[in-house]
Amino acid sequence: MLSSVVTNLLFYVFAILAVLFALAVVCSRRILRAAVYLMAVLGMSAGFYLLLGAEFLAGVQILVYVGGIVVLLVFAIMLTASTDMIEEKPSLFRKAAGLFAAGGFLAASIAVFYLSQFPAVRQSVTAPSATREIGLHILSYGPEGYVLPFEMISLLLLGVAIGGIVLARKRARKEGV
Amino acid sequence: MLEFIETPPGVFHWLVVSTILFSIGIYGVLTRRNAVGILMAVELLLNSGALNFVVFTKYVAPGAVDGQIMAIFIIAVAAAEVVAGMAIFVTLAKSRKTVDVTRMDMMKN
Repeated sequence: MLSSVVTNLLFYVFAILAVLFALAVVCSRRILRAAVYLMAVLGMSAGFYLLLGAEFLAGVQILVYVGGIVVLLVFAIMLTASTDMIEEKPSLFRKAAGLFAAGGFLAASIAVFYLSQFPAVRQSVTAPSATREIGLHILSYGPEGYVLPFEMISLLLLGVAIGGIVLARKRARKEGV
Repeated sequence: MLEFIETPPGVFHWLVVSTILFSIGIYGVLTRRNAVGILMAVELLLNSGALNFVVFTKYVAPGAVDGQIMAIFIIAVAAAEVVAGMAIFVTLAKSRKTVDVTRMDMMKN
């Protein structure tokens, strides 16, 4: 009983913090601070995954997103010399258009969720640790296996690594790109 | 007063949270001027999409792991996207001295 109250409370705490940090990500004028706030949002998402019973995914989220992607973003910020750049405020038109699009999407989606019945949703049972299942599914080539998308992802990563090196390497010629 | 604490969050609560995060990401994509900032907003979008996969796999097919596998693939694609985006932005910053997307109009007209 008490533990269920604690997890419910954790959900609301994580949700509020995630939304606040996400707002800070899109509104902060200093881009480096936005990267730090993004790290916090992704950490909250790892907390969400823990609450949903996906421990392995929470670990992957921390390792790849917080440890890899955010660090890469910080490198991008440094290399494009936008550390000291304080972004100008968006013009009123852009702000209004962004608010209209985002608010419209939010209102429409929440209305649809509120009016839907979700007949397929069941009372969820807490599954035992699924890490073994994930590994077996990713590498099996049966009807429920994901080995083909797995190999596609590896090709994608290889292609992106080569493309990144080709694009960003120092060029000998002066005229550049 | 605190009845909502007693009941566990249902699928509606989770969907509202991920929709709010997605909307904030849309706002960021549309209003940011720095290209790296836009990339961060896209990360928010991808993250809330992955969250939706995990929520639905828990509430629609408890015990299955397909949604979690999809979320892992989304994370991998997000990593690839950041690498490609970073390479492009570094090249742009070298050649044009800015990553302000409102001044990238070389393909205009």
